[in-house]
Amino acid sequence: MSNMGIVLAILGAALAALLAGIGSAKGVGLVGEAAAGVVSVDPSKFSKVLILQLLPGTQGLYGLLTAILMLSRIGVIGGTAADLTTAQGWQFFIAALPIAIVGLISAIFQGRTAAAGVGITAKKPEHNGKGIIMAAMVETYAILALLVSILLIYNIEV
Amino acid sequence: MSTTKYANAVAAIKAMENFLLTRNDLEQLISASTAEEMESLISARRGSGSEELTLEGVWEMIRGYAPDSDELKVLLYKNDFHNLKAVLKSMLSGRELLASCIRPTNLDLDELAKALSTKEFELLPDYIGPVAEQAYELITRTLDGQLADSLIDCACMKAMLRSAEESGSEFMIRYAKLITQCADIKTAYRCGAMQKQRSFLETAVCGSPELDRESLIRAALGGPESVLAYLETTSYSDAGKLLGESAAAFEKWCDDQVIELAESARFQAFGAEPLAAYYLAAEAELKNLRIIRVCRGSGADRETITERMRRLYV
Repeated sequence: MSNMGIVLAILGAALAALLAGIGSAKGVGLVGEAAAGVVSVDPSKFSKVLILQLLPGTQGLYGLLTAILMLSRIGVIGGTAADLTTAQGWQFFIAALPIAIVGLISAIFQGRTAAAGVGITAKKPEHNGKGIIMAAMVETYAILALLVSILLIYNIEV
Repeated sequence: MSTTKYANAVAAIKAMENFLLTRNDLEQLISASTAEEMESLISARRGSGSEELTLEGVWEMIRGYAPDSDELKVLLYKNDFHNLKAVLKSMLSGRELLASCIRPTNLDLDELAKALSTKEFELLPDYIGPVAEQAYELITRTLDGQLADSLIDCACMKAMLRSAEESGSEFMIRYAKLITQCADIKTAYRCGAMQKQRSFLETAVCGSPELDRESLIRAALGGPESVLAYLETTSYSDAGKLLGESAAAFEKWCDDQVIELAESARFQAFGAEPLAAYYLAAEAELKNLRIIRVCRGSGADRETITERMRRLYV
């Protein structure tokens, strides 16, 4: 059980990348479906709907960033893994949860909002920006979660 | 039905809504000096190289996009039951069986013709097979085409309501109810004017929670004025006033109600409802174009044509 600390920390890093990545994949996929529907009728709208499709992809990147920061902090990247206690392991695990959970949920909801925004682009392309803003609002909560995760990761004593 | 599985279909439909005619387009069409000018205005609106808008084409396109077109089949029940009447009458009068059939349909028309001509009613789906058999027996026994039509129309309404309720879609339930109630009002009014007997009315009137079947039958037995008086006591008082003015005004009211219902689905980003709404919008557009062409052909003035225009979706 002496390795429990490092195992928990790595598990946290994996969850951050995994859950936020799953959310992004679902969100981007949903917007992609809607975007393909519009492009099949009007290919000239491809660039406008592509921006909307990219939006839910950011949570996956936040998850990846969190995972890299954690792995770097615990020494898995670039050398020797730190000798973490179980309590420290739990701290890293918990630090990963905000972006893992909020990333998953916000990416799915951002995907729904962006897919609805694709409808705006389809009908009124000149109002495309409004669809982007609405979808971007959801991003706020993923950014807040990322911020909390990073603050936690850097304030754990190793 | 508001699931994200329709994301692709709804987005495509929203892009296609841009090609539907607007009120301004209709005014231009009404003002067009020649039929050629009108046709060129329509082609310009649809975009070069695009195919002519037909309901069959719209349905095929919707089926292509929809992950589950079964959720939309209620929309075609009217056509299915119309085709049943058409094939039955063609059989009895020795005409080409499919000559008066309309498309799109849920049924394969050749199978419908085969099932009726060989009396293998079990080949037909459950929602139409039993009534096809009943109507066939009735029409061959009584030779009363009107009674058979009423039986089929009433069965159509019941099938629509049942199927809509099975789909669980609030939109489809409201659509089926609206169509049923409009049909019941028309039937009761006409039967009242033709002084039909109670037995006929019992076959023809479907009934709904908003329009009580027994009250409507009793009103119809008292004549058209009695039907209008009954409608005054229901939420259909406006419709009753229009029906009192003219049948055309009431028909327009019914069509406008359908489009008003379709508009409720316009703001949905997911689900089958926007697809159904697009189909209804295309139906209204084609009806408007038909009215303009017929009115122009008969020399009707601009005001008359404008008055008859149905509400538009876009």
